[in-house]
Amino acid sequence: MSALARICESVEAHARFVREQIRRAREDSKFRAALLKRWRAIRASIATVQTPTGIELPTLALPTSNDPGEIARYLFGEGFPGEFPFVNSIYREMYLPGSGGRMPEEPTRLFAGLGLAEDTNERFHYLTQHQRSIRLSTAFDGPTLYGMDSDADGVFGKIGEGGVAIDTVEDMERLYDRFALGDERLSVSMTINGPAPIILAMYVAAAQRRFGGKVIRKLRGTVQADILKEVQAQNEIIFPLEASLRFLADMVAHTTEHLPRWYPISISGYHIGEAGATPVQQAAYTLSNGFTYVELFRGRGLAVDRFGPRLSFFLDCGLDVEYVALARVCRKLWAIGMRDVFGAGEAAQRLKLHTQTSGRSLIALGFKNNLTRTAIELFLAYLNATNSCHSNSADEPFTTPGEEYVRLAAHAQSILLEETGLFRHMMNLFTGSPGMRILEETLEKAILEEFRTIDRLGGVLAATEQRYQRSQIQEAAHLYEQQTGDGTRPIIGLNRYPASTESFVEPKVVRTPRSRKQLQVDRLRKFKHRHRHQSARALDELAGVVESGGNVFAELLKTVECCSLGQITGRLFEVVGRFRPSV
Amino acid sequence: MAASVRLLTAVPICDGHDSAISTINLEFIHHGIEVVYLGYHRSARDIVRAAIQEGVDAIGISSYNGGHVEFFAEVVALLKKQRAAKIGVFGGGGGTITKADATIMQRKGVDRIFFAGTPMEEMIRFAREAYGGRRRRSVKLPRFSAGKRKTMAPCIGITGPGGAGKTTLIDELVLRWLKVQPDARIAILSHDPSIVGKGALLGDRATMIYSQDDRVFMRSLATRGRAGGLSPETAQWVRTMKHGGFDVVFVETVGIGQEAMPFRSKLVDKSIFVMSADYGSQLQLQKIAMLDVADIVVVNKGDLAGAPTAVAEVGRRIERGRSGQRVIATVAKRHRDPGVDCLFEELRS
Repeated sequence: MSALARICESVEAHARFVREQIRRAREDSKFRAALLKRWRAIRASIATVQTPTGIELPTLALPTSNDPGEIARYLFGEGFPGEFPFVNSIYREMYLPGSGGRMPEEPTRLFAGLGLAEDTNERFHYLTQHQRSIRLSTAFDGPTLYGMDSDADGVFGKIGEGGVAIDTVEDMERLYDRFALGDERLSVSMTINGPAPIILAMYVAAAQRRFGGKVIRKLRGTVQADILKEVQAQNEIIFPLEASLRFLADMVAHTTEHLPRWYPISISGYHIGEAGATPVQQAAYTLSNGFTYVELFRGRGLAVDRFGPRLSFFLDCGLDVEYVALARVCRKLWAIGMRDVFGAGEAAQRLKLHTQTSGRSLIALGFKNNLTRTAIELFLAYLNATNSCHSNSADEPFTTPGEEYVRLAAHAQSILLEETGLFRHMMNLFTGSPGMRILEETLEKAILEEFRTIDRLGGVLAATEQRYQRSQIQEAAHLYEQQTGDGTRPIIGLNRYPASTESFVEPKVVRTPRSRKQLQVDRLRKFKHRHRHQSARALDELAGVVESGGNVFAELLKTVECCSLGQITGRLFEVVGRFRPSV
Repeated sequence: MAASVRLLTAVPICDGHDSAISTINLEFIHHGIEVVYLGYHRSARDIVRAAIQEGVDAIGISSYNGGHVEFFAEVVALLKKQRAAKIGVFGGGGGTITKADATIMQRKGVDRIFFAGTPMEEMIRFAREAYGGRRRRSVKLPRFSAGKRKTMAPCIGITGPGGAGKTTLIDELVLRWLKVQPDARIAILSHDPSIVGKGALLGDRATMIYSQDDRVFMRSLATRGRAGGLSPETAQWVRTMKHGGFDVVFVETVGIGQEAMPFRSKLVDKSIFVMSADYGSQLQLQKIAMLDVADIVVVNKGDLAGAPTAVAEVGRRIERGRSGQRVIATVAKRHRDPGVDCLFEELRS
């Protein structure tokens, strides 16, 4: 039986298990006594907190019912925060001010990338000047995302637009200059997929150049590297799927061994959602992709408890009602699948979640309304106990975000977490409502149905090749367009209370000047010239490793010392071919 | 009803945002427009080459990843350079293209930029009014397109059910041809179905990688209601291509059913029937008419579990037919597939 079918069975078995515990709590006096004893201990362990207005509250919200069946349903069905199946959260305390000396989750993570490496570096320093922990989230420009050099034919206009231009290990040194890459409080996120192994190799090589070899084991951060969702939704895959998966597995094998604090893949629903998928499709495709990676890495002989804790997820959060509970359901399904199908321990059962507010929900017309949209999405993201979060800037529909709107987006998170009393006094203030439970049940059922469909098509890889997810997403996107067109999906300022286009004052747009683009081209050419005697041989050696089945990532760490991104992808294309798009 | 407007749509290089253009393509064809879709991550050169080869009235570009001012300008400049400035250029990018950008772009020769919130009807009306009935399409190779070969080119017909991998196979053959013979000129005539009474989405180019090359001439035809997988213009185009100085001409039909035999009266010199290894039962195999007449039968998707059985069954099936037929198993999607190598050798010999 395939993994997805087994996961569906495990979820059903878990539901039966929960029902059985509820029955025993009500009918079996010995079981009930033990349960109530545990419940009292849990209650007693919860600290209280005084709000600024002087009322006293527990730091964790638990069901108030004294019905043993209800208590069993909560403990086994949802799990106490930090306990299986982690519906409420993967850790006991999330955003509460530190207790017992532990740092609370500090979830704000802001995506940035513009111009050349030093421009983005400056933005990073600006963004993090007052933060205790430094979390750098990097956006790359189009040529980098597609593994092309800045001096490639026809890409000049794209250099540094929408993200930072990275061609060489030297650019990577400039990008994170004046940041202590081995620091406990620093982590780096890089949103890159097709060329992810090459870019990560450049990062590791750059860190090593600056801090020596000992820094490598200390490096913290993530690369997206989610190739499946690229085929299904985002189209930023450059090598054929089979080769891409092999390069990914090589990278994961290497980081598991040598970069123990690195998250080598961010399994992403965000782009699936942004491409048009419904929330249920987003959850179903993302989770099933995640399980496929687990099978792949296990197939490479890696132990699930070694790499499992280093997998993380990235979901979209929009304005549809499903987002009230979507991540809660995802955590549960992941935990059950990992434990019962893959035999993973607790660390690998926890779905670590990064959320980003929906870019698609933002519109250019009357763009300041986007502040409100993003604020509501942020609330939903935290309601779902996300571990980290990026809030979009209101000006994103038309430009790389300007500093003013970036600051507003960051402050929206601080207002929510620090200024309001919604998340800082009590965990799970809003969970457990009947409405939320109904939503969870509805979503779970629909996601499992999608799993079964994918399973019938032969599993995730076969379905992907048959363009199943892709066509479903396109259909949903088409429906969304129709609904916004005919107004059945109200969008304020667009199809309802239209914003006057006359009064639309175009805000400041951030663009990379021509001279900067030329600078990038010039220094790339100099790099190539300086390494002209080494690069051909290094590329030959890389090709040899690909052909002989060795670990490509380990070799890339050497190749990037003297070859540019485009030189490397160019050579790899010769050996493994290019990705063939499907439409 | 012949479509009166023919457009080429694409997403620029280093940009994979194809969601908007996919929706717009569908709207266009439902309103009678013929759309040649080039896909995403396409260079200005690829776009202009394809537009000229396809004889479209205009190019529509959907750009969401920035650099649009330069990119659109490059497309317009290349059209001018190729003496094809009569081909219009329009586009959009949601909110990423500002009014100020659009003004610059229009000054540089772009006809129109659509902003977020433009109703589909407005876009369709624009395309019809600006580009409709512009010129009569003739069966003629555009300037600079012909090859240098003096003799008539051999013509290879490729047919088979939809999804069997015909387009991929041609693209992989093109890769080999261009590598082995660097001065080769190749022509491809591809077909896609029209929706009855409506336009057509001609999407074969979008999945091709190696055929985006100055040495390859490709034309996409809509069937315009013609049964059998070809178009009313097919015969004329084949003749033109054969005499166009190319080294080889490929003709790809639309996906066909069991009974169809699309290549009539010596239209092609050699015919290839491409089928997937998962055709179903042996009984289904007996019914496929093309198996009796194809010179080469390609059993593609040889990586499927049932592939060895399929190759054996197809082999037995054609043994009883005319002599000289060959069966070749391929995995066209695999880079450097030995099966495709074998087919290539067979075609070159």
